[in-house]
Amino acid sequence: MFKSIRDWIEIRIGLDELVRTQLKEYRVPGNINIFYTLGFIALAAYIIQAVTGFFLLVYYIPSSDHAFMSVQNIMNRVPFGWLFRLMHVVGSNLMVAVVFLHMLSVFFMGSYKKPRELTWVAGGLMMLVTLAFCLSGYLLPWSQLSYWATTIVANLPTAFPVIGDFIAKLLRGGEQVSGITLNRFFAIHIAFLPPILVSIVGIHIFLVRRTGISSPPFGVPDKENNNLTEFRHESHPDGLPFYPYFVHREISMVMIYLALLFFIVTFMPTLFLPEDANTPADPFKTPAHIKPEWYFLAPYQMLKLIPNKFLGISLQVILVAAFLSWPFFDTKKERNLMKRPLLLSVFLISVAIYVLLTLWGLYS
Amino acid sequence: MDRRTFLNTLLSFLGATALFSFGYPLLRFLAPPGSGAETHKLTVNKSDILPGESKSILVGSIPAIIINRADKGFIALSKVCTHLGCLVEYDKDKKRLQCPCHAGLFDLEGNVISGPPPKSLRKFPVKVEGDAVIIG
Repeated sequence: MFKSIRDWIEIRIGLDELVRTQLKEYRVPGNINIFYTLGFIALAAYIIQAVTGFFLLVYYIPSSDHAFMSVQNIMNRVPFGWLFRLMHVVGSNLMVAVVFLHMLSVFFMGSYKKPRELTWVAGGLMMLVTLAFCLSGYLLPWSQLSYWATTIVANLPTAFPVIGDFIAKLLRGGEQVSGITLNRFFAIHIAFLPPILVSIVGIHIFLVRRTGISSPPFGVPDKENNNLTEFRHESHPDGLPFYPYFVHREISMVMIYLALLFFIVTFMPTLFLPEDANTPADPFKTPAHIKPEWYFLAPYQMLKLIPNKFLGISLQVILVAAFLSWPFFDTKKERNLMKRPLLLSVFLISVAIYVLLTLWGLYS
Repeated sequence: MDRRTFLNTLLSFLGATALFSFGYPLLRFLAPPGSGAETHKLTVNKSDILPGESKSILVGSIPAIIINRADKGFIALSKVCTHLGCLVEYDKDKKRLQCPCHAGLFDLEGNVISGPPPKSLRKFPVKVEGDAVIIG
């Protein structure tokens, strides 16, 4: 029975050939390491967010009068509602962490260099869309935390002269964050961003498959990719088969990711839900010591330290733009960061500053 | 002009027209209505706010505060911090307004004393007529 169904499909779409050419004969570098699985984990994290998000939509009410209660209802009354909500909340934080780690590891291994500049840019855009997802989703529970964190973020464009105020009003749908803002952010979160993310993920995966996975720069001579004058697929003929070798490794790592997700959901359920996240939004009372999520603490702390709003926000925009376009500045052939002490120092100092500002923001 | 150039120009024109026909309504569709603060008038009882005390109010859709300053009389200020939009709180002992988010400080005229806010708090016109304080 199973064989006849399989044969029926095989005749129509040539599945065997597809599996052979795209999975078994597709090879990854022999010295590939565990950090190369981060992209797949990020993809798995996106899928978990999409699936749990669909489930939450069944009970969530996108209205300022009902949003908070509907989320409380999901948490306290809907059978296993707490599980899907917590998976969504914890998953969003872990997803950001995985995307950050993926970007950092790609940077550390010099995999952004020619001919993979576009892959890096697509990855960077994905990171920004991921953060946009987090921002737009943050308001939806309509809690004190979500309301005031969104108020701060929606005010950021006002730092820019002429169009800043208009952009901020456009985002909020008025002078203040209100029910209109909730509807806008809901639309952005569930309808506007998903197709953008899917498109960029598609382009990113296409670019990775088209150019071939880059080799880690450690222990093997560089293939002189910088001298390319025409397109060349890096096929790694001496490498390992994508399936089963690398696929198994990726799935093992996703299992570790899931273990971490369920560990936090089970044993640390309030890790990302402080008290203000369980208090309904009060548009007339800003809570003391409001803090954004951990991944925005560094920019938030930077805004506190730089007295000029325009300067503070512009500096952050410039830093993000420089990070995204880094492959176009760094055109040196050497990919091994260990052989480039200056760049290694800049990399380590930047990460240290980000961590320091995050901790400072957390405890200030 | 040959036939191909003409068609390309025509298509570009039609494309631009289609884009504008969609883009302008979209911009208007998304653009928010005004706050209503400009035309909004609000009356509070003078006796409700003793000297040194304050009362939170809503001017249009803007959260605001009216303060009865012991020395200079009533003033109505927007509570929206000009830095990133958190609501300032009135500290009657220190006679100033403080933002809980980034520690911006304002005096009772709404002027910035310290911190990152780039400009003063928005002021609303105040008129005292008998026992009524009219804001707006």
